[in-house]
Amino acid sequence: MSEVPEDIEETVVQRFNEELKDPVKLVFFTQEMECPFCAQTHKLLETVANLSDKITFEVHDFVKDKEKAEQLGIEKIPAVAILGKKDYGLRMFGIPSGYEFQTLIEGIVFASTGKSELSPKAEEALRKVATKPVKIQIFVIPTCPVCPVLGAMAFQFAIASANISVDIVEIAEFPHLAVKYDVVGTPKAVLNEKVQFEGLVPPGQFLTFIQQAAQGSPTGISPTI
Amino acid sequence: MDVNHLTDQQSMYDIAIIGGGVSGLAAAMYAGRMKLNTVLIGYPPGGVIATTDWIENYPGFISLSGKELADKILAHAKEYEVDMVFDEATEITRDGRCFTVNTAFDEYQAKTVLFATGTRYRKLPVPGADTFEGKGVQFCGLCDGPMFQDKLVAVVGGGDSAAKEALILAQWAKHIYVIIRGDQLKAEPVNMERVKKTEKITLVFNTNVTSIEGSQGIEKIVLDQPFEGKNELVVKGVFIAIGSLPLSQLAVQLGVKTNEKGEILINRQTETNIPGVFAAGDVTDTQFKQAITGVAEGVTAAYQAYRYLGGEFVCTCVDDDYLDCPAAPEDLRGRTE
Ligand SMILES: Cc1cc2nc3c(=O)[nH]c(=O)nc-3n(C[C@H](O)[C@H](O)[C@H](O)COP(=O)(O)OP(=O)(O)OC[C@H]3O[C@@H](n4cnc5c(N)ncnc54)[C@H](O)[C@@H]3O)c2cc1C
Repeated sequence: MSEVPEDIEETVVQRFNEELKDPVKLVFFTQEMECPFCAQTHKLLETVANLSDKITFEVHDFVKDKEKAEQLGIEKIPAVAILGKKDYGLRMFGIPSGYEFQTLIEGIVFASTGKSELSPKAEEALRKVATKPVKIQIFVIPTCPVCPVLGAMAFQFAIASANISVDIVEIAEFPHLAVKYDVVGTPKAVLNEKVQFEGLVPPGQFLTFIQQAAQGSPTGISPTI
Repeated sequence: MDVNHLTDQQSMYDIAIIGGGVSGLAAAMYAGRMKLNTVLIGYPPGGVIATTDWIENYPGFISLSGKELADKILAHAKEYEVDMVFDEATEITRDGRCFTVNTAFDEYQAKTVLFATGTRYRKLPVPGADTFEGKGVQFCGLCDGPMFQDKLVAVVGGGDSAAKEALILAQWAKHIYVIIRGDQLKAEPVNMERVKKTEKITLVFNTNVTSIEGSQGIEKIVLDQPFEGKNELVVKGVFIAIGSLPLSQLAVQLGVKTNEKGEILINRQTETNIPGVFAAGDVTDTQFKQAITGVAEGVTAAYQAYRYLGGEFVCTCVDDDYLDCPAAPEDLRGRTE
């Protein structure tokens, strides 16, 4: 899917109208050559940005705008940084198509409201464990129907804690990362390069992994779905 | 009727639905419609149906993906005032006739509980299955199929789920061997036809996998019968579809009765042995487990909870003589577990 199908577009417009609050900026990084999904991703993000006047779309050349890319922590393309009133650390690498389109929409809504759907007690627990910066990479593929559940949860953690940043990575587009992180199934999460798990975990368990990553202790893998 | 006034206190729900698969979501929709003060605690939203690519037997929809179906029922439930908590219930206790549901962070109180907790995948009890879980031993073709592009894979199982997994994997894999313990594939006839027409799928009957072997990743599976002259098959991935186990532990801890398989025993009204506790969907002892049957049980449970709560009259779970309350439906009065 490179553009948004009509029936989905209608639902998204309605959701944006009802839920968007602060302006959102989609900062897209691309290049003309050697990026098979850049053009498609460009088109998709532009279409989404046009669905609400609260969303602006900014395009940068990955090579020419190196400084901007570095500033936003973009080291591969296609990439989009989803910025709200502030930079909550929400990034997506690879085309957000298929089921990942849902993650993109969730990211835009969270960045705009600046609010997670976590309960106050869950937010408090998160603040207690995320004592140091934790970068969460979540490897996904567009056909994975459960991946957006984990992606949206991680995005909420990033909204609720300034110490959390989240990269959603479409792993089929970055095969070298599949090898590096031994990604055989999705979703797979890697936190601060040290802590990893596969499948879906409930919020409480995810927080335990965040705590381990913040403390710098490596863990094994806990596969579920 | 406005049932909200049945609520003893703001934080007391009329019904706590545990599980956010299609059965729980449908129950939430109905409970919300009947203005029961409802909380659904479920993780992950959508349940097992979200992991299948196409549903062609849910009345009203000729064909749609499992995720689409779950999303539609979720959206329908959200049309009503229902609190949705996408988290895991870790403990459920009973105090008198009231129930307390705990998650990792929060606590919810309710007068009735509906278990719609579904099942989890059954694991293959052979050497190597644990070692390679998530590293080639997988459970969701849709989630992991693309990682096996142009590779040889095996599906273990002989039911409709195995047939559907093989068909999903055929989009990416080079070839799929379905290892079947019995002498036939017990799939829906329409899926059977599709399997037969898919050249990439080979059915291997009367055969068990005895181990899964490899070093960095899976290299082969060992079979108890020779296939094409050999007792091993070179594959990179093994997808397990040998059925599922009911997630009924929380119910059991509460004293809910189950059968020998661990499935919650319910009657046609979806009642369990404990008054005020209901169950619906794959976690129950219902024989034919499908989305539509789970949905039907979910809505039946919501209705029965509504009746149990005494309809338009004020009956509260904190009253000892609750079930003798004149407002309680006659057939429920005096019911004890
Ligand atoms: C591969 C496959 C193909 C299928 N194809 C079809 C088909 O074509 N048509 C059809 O009608 N049916 C099909 N089915 C069957 C159908 O998916 C199920 O019957 C139905 O989805 C069961 O729904 P449920 O809500 O009862 O359970 P589930 O979908 O299992 O949902 C239960 C949910 O509750 C959650 N949960 C469990 N414990 C807790 C807890 N303590 N706290 C919070 N949440 C909890 C679970 O994680 C899960 O999300 C298929 C099944 C499979 C596996």
